[in-house]
Amino acid sequence: MSEASASKTVTLTIDGRRVSVPEGTTIWEAARGLGIDIPVLCHSTRMRPVGVCRMCVVDVGARTLPASCVRPCENDMEVDTRSAEVQRHRRVLTQLLLADQPEESAREASTGDDELMALARQFDIADIPYPDGARQRPRGADASSPVIAVDHQACILCDRCIRACDELQHNDVITRTGKGYDTRIAFDLDAPMGESTCVSCGECMAVCPTGALTNKAVAGLKIEPAA
Amino acid sequence: MKLLKSMMALQARDGAISDEALNTLSKKEDVPLYRLEGLRSFYPVFKTTPSTAKRVQVCRDIVCRMRGGSDYCARVREALAGAEDVEVEEVSCIGRCDSAPAALVEEVPVSGDPERVSAYAAGRLELPAHQPALTGERWATDPYSRDDEHYATLGAYLARDDAAQARDEIIQTLKDSGLRGLGGAAFPAGMKWDFTRRAAGEPKYVICNADESEPGTFKDRVILEANAHLLIEAMILAGWVIGSHRGVIYLRHEYLPERETLQRAIDDAYQRGALGADVLGSGFAFELEVFVSPGGYILGEETALLEALEDKRGEPRNKPPFPTNAGLWGKPTLMNNVETFAAVPIILARGAQWWADQGRDRHKGLKYVCVSGDVAKPGVYCIPWGMTVAEVLDLCGGVPGGKALKAFSPGGSSTNFLPAKLADVPMDFDALAQAGSAMGTAAMVFVAEGRDMVGLALSQVRFFRNESCGKCVPCRVGSHKAVQIVERCQAAPSGADQYPVLEELDATLAKTSICGLGQVALGPLMSVFRFFPDEAGVAALRGRAGGKT
Repeated sequence: MSEASASKTVTLTIDGRRVSVPEGTTIWEAARGLGIDIPVLCHSTRMRPVGVCRMCVVDVGARTLPASCVRPCENDMEVDTRSAEVQRHRRVLTQLLLADQPEESAREASTGDDELMALARQFDIADIPYPDGARQRPRGADASSPVIAVDHQACILCDRCIRACDELQHNDVITRTGKGYDTRIAFDLDAPMGESTCVSCGECMAVCPTGALTNKAVAGLKIEPAA
Repeated sequence: MKLLKSMMALQARDGAISDEALNTLSKKEDVPLYRLEGLRSFYPVFKTTPSTAKRVQVCRDIVCRMRGGSDYCARVREALAGAEDVEVEEVSCIGRCDSAPAALVEEVPVSGDPERVSAYAAGRLELPAHQPALTGERWATDPYSRDDEHYATLGAYLARDDAAQARDEIIQTLKDSGLRGLGGAAFPAGMKWDFTRRAAGEPKYVICNADESEPGTFKDRVILEANAHLLIEAMILAGWVIGSHRGVIYLRHEYLPERETLQRAIDDAYQRGALGADVLGSGFAFELEVFVSPGGYILGEETALLEALEDKRGEPRNKPPFPTNAGLWGKPTLMNNVETFAAVPIILARGAQWWADQGRDRHKGLKYVCVSGDVAKPGVYCIPWGMTVAEVLDLCGGVPGGKALKAFSPGGSSTNFLPAKLADVPMDFDALAQAGSAMGTAAMVFVAEGRDMVGLALSQVRFFRNESCGKCVPCRVGSHKAVQIVERCQAAPSGADQYPVLEELDATLAKTSICGLGQVALGPLMSVFRFFPDEAGVAALRGRAGGKT
């Protein structure tokens, strides 16, 4: 609620429930206050929202569906966070991302908390109707860091590692490089992570929702999901 | 602006931007390396390795494919296969659709078959001199008959002693005129001026979006070259009305010859005192500069343009807030398209009623359309609003070779194809929307009988895929998958119906993409399913044999 001012409130309806929130509160935050969980991959409560994964889109009766993580609440807004249409689009977005994911998630295999895989289970996705973009892993990997494994194929460009590195930790190392479908994350002037100015703080890896940035097993200790 | 200008200067000096140069720039400007990498890799004018080879950039988009053949780029490559020191690159539409097929040789626009382009590139033919748009002729939207009358409308307003009321009148006249944004989004201009005037925050900015880059679109190029004084006058007026002292014209980099004309017009305005610290002796200050885009269609999206001016990757912002309230550097910003600004002086000089009278029936005003494709005389035409598509086609000499019209795209790549039987639709926002398409950028592409509609639509979808910034998932991944689905089916028909998955993708892109690029990316393809269901190409995509062309 970085821009919320305590002096003014707005009142709206979310999934049929009236709620008053400080002006500047996003729909995602207001819904959360009501116990309504809107799925999201790019947002984290610790960060400035960017609205790029579009998983949190909601119906506010407009021409398009805004991302609730960036859309401020307005007076008399009527928000539907889980209409059939909204859920259908979330399913398509999940399938699009899954089409380019490696078979195995390094995060699922280690810490067991791959958020994209969790969405796949939530939407009960068994088939993906799009061409497989992960075969032969064209996006590549970067094993140069002693502690962090980078798998570009698993990256969904959620921007979390970028904000974690540049805005939370102020280490100023990670960016997006390239454009369009060929965009990927990069370190400094696109150096291998291990040769970049990365200080291995681990924040990027901690916030990554997929298997793109994971902890390397060091000292022969295998990392496994908690029982 | 500062960082990108520094990087463009490096690119011009070294033919590339090396890591070494960025390391130096990073220290000098105290900017982290990651930001410079983000910029260098995003904008197409920046290269990482220098080359002494002559650059030939060949247009790969719809109009050049129609006029030069779908293998135009490959044939140019072939024609230059043995040539030393020549690099051929396929690029998105370069805005020379009126002389299609077109290419750039060392940034100079050339036109013609692969042999001709290769002759220019190899130096066997001298590069053509720039043919300026008709600058000596008075255009229908130019209120001045002589050069020395330029800026008279501005002067008349500035001389009034009831400035507040004069500003109200300007906004009311624009509202009454019905003038809407002519860059594609069609937002009422008077309202935009009003919002920005009322918005709190200092300083305010006036920006002209001269980054038209949509295949088939070249009207702004011609307008700004022939009528730069109208654009400049409108921007100064806008500054005076909303309380801004700084204007920027954001110009696409491929318009280098036109840039010189524009710069001369700006210099002329400074000499006349219409620009500067004391505009026409009124005490009002307004400075204007041209910012040349480092490239990419997405920069024409207003918030992506603002990001570029703030030295960031040109990725569209989530809206709201809108630029009228939070634009450049978060300050109120009035942004209009070239044609929109250029219409303002005559509307103010002659009044809203005069403007309304120029249109047909209930339609108000004059409109520039850029016509290309299967048409005898491609070019920019000024038409009354409400003229029908069929009449525009007649005006441009009809379809060449006595062929029948099959289809048309009324407004550019972002608008749906319509069948010839709908050619009596008037050129008007609502009428085109009702017919199943849109006004877009008024890039009218006519298609003759015998053309493969799926091939044309696919080239439009490829354009959006190629120009996607990559910020949001639906556009970045969805446009790519859609192209792959169609290409794979064309290469090896699977017998499966591809329509349901494309329809589902189209809905998700239209509803969930951040900006207009993703929202419209699959539109032209879906319109071919709708209006041309019997095409062989459509039958193949639907898993059926047969169909006709």
